[in-house]
Amino acid sequence: MGSPGPNPRVTERSEGLPRAYVVRSQRERLLEATIRVTAAKGYDATSVGDVIEFAGVSEETFYEFFGSREECFLEAYDAVMDVLVAHVESAFEACVAEPWPQRIVAGVRALVELLAAEADIARMAMVEVTAAGDAARERYRAALARFRPFLEEGRTYSSQGEELPADTARFAIGGATSMIFDEIRAGRGPELPRLLPDLVFAVLMPYLGAEAAEDEMRRLVREG
Amino acid sequence: MGKQGAAKVQPGEQGAGLTTATADDMGIGKLGLDGPPKREKIMVGMLEEVGANGYDPTSVRTILARTGLYRQAFYDHFTDKDACFKRAFEAGVAHLEAIAIEAAATEEDWRGKLRAGLGAVLDFLDAEPEIGRALIVEVHAAGAEPLRRRAETMKKITEFIDLARRELGGESPPGIAPEGILAGIHAIVHSRLATGENDGFRELLPEFMYFAVLPYFGAVAAREEMSAAQAEVGRAQA
Repeated sequence: MGSPGPNPRVTERSEGLPRAYVVRSQRERLLEATIRVTAAKGYDATSVGDVIEFAGVSEETFYEFFGSREECFLEAYDAVMDVLVAHVESAFEACVAEPWPQRIVAGVRALVELLAAEADIARMAMVEVTAAGDAARERYRAALARFRPFLEEGRTYSSQGEELPADTARFAIGGATSMIFDEIRAGRGPELPRLLPDLVFAVLMPYLGAEAAEDEMRRLVREG
Repeated sequence: MGKQGAAKVQPGEQGAGLTTATADDMGIGKLGLDGPPKREKIMVGMLEEVGANGYDPTSVRTILARTGLYRQAFYDHFTDKDACFKRAFEAGVAHLEAIAIEAAATEEDWRGKLRAGLGAVLDFLDAEPEIGRALIVEVHAAGAEPLRRRAETMKKITEFIDLARRELGGESPPGIAPEGILAGIHAIVHSRLATGENDGFRELLPEFMYFAVLPYFGAVAAREEMSAAQAEVGRAQA
């Protein structure tokens, strides 16, 4: 990761490689460049020129793949969210035999660890997307909704069950993501795992109430 | 109060200062400002433009078109679009704070104050969704200052929410509770405004009260509060 600029690794000559491979890798390089440059400079300041320079492809090639800077951004964003959701899902599913709160802990832990390790992905996924226009915000909303099924299993676990408000998952996800947003925006993305107990509380509380959510929180603090 | 714009802020009623009867449909009075009416009209036009079309497409020209004012009127009060938005944002947030505080002042206990204050904000959003969108959704597009201002307001609300602790006997929730409550409520409002679900904000009050009461007073109290607020929404709609 690091600052934008020509990336020596991806500007190597590509003669002799199969055409399909070159095309795919050019496209992927553009998507990756979008993530890197947007994270470093912010969405507003990122131009097609920055992206093609970083990716080491021509402007003509860029427009063969994407109609606009926004289109490229949205595709890169979807790719990033696919990675995030898959990562959380596999952590959640890996402990399918555990009680629901433990599975939530596993999912949230996987999320913050990935975001902490991948600063550019974190910035793109959680912060820059909110400044990138209506279409991007719509993707952001849709992406967050993909976490909802993990939470809604809490309805069957919770003693409140069916009496929980309709927006419970939205409330829980909103609370947690807004804390994550603030941390990343303040440049504390790498320290996100420290927030794990608070995030777990925010997600579990609406389903289980404060006492049960705090028990999980305390357990995490004890475990360090 | 229902969503029929019951809380459309009338000049001189919830805002301070302006009392002219013709002011409302001109956009004057919506932010409850003292000072030159044209200045407020421009700020309201600014927020409505940004709320309707987004920050980037908004220009001095589009604001003038919306307000029907001349260029000179704009530049008499503001140096440029950015400066105008910052002032308008500040005024809008201050106005929301004021109507919440005023509504809460009529109630005795924490729950009543929260219900009234939150209800007043939701009524404002039902009446002025474009201004709401400018203040709550478009805040990211306009640089650091509005975000700082928003953080200040969020801190005040968080502190108010946490006053619930004073009414508790023994057990009390962890320090993160009020922040989580506010962030969750904010996320739901934000998501609605961002996707153009522009009405029915008042109907969200029962579940918001549930989420706020739950961590401090437990599930039974939260459900009671939700049912009571639902009954109130039902009465208002009847």
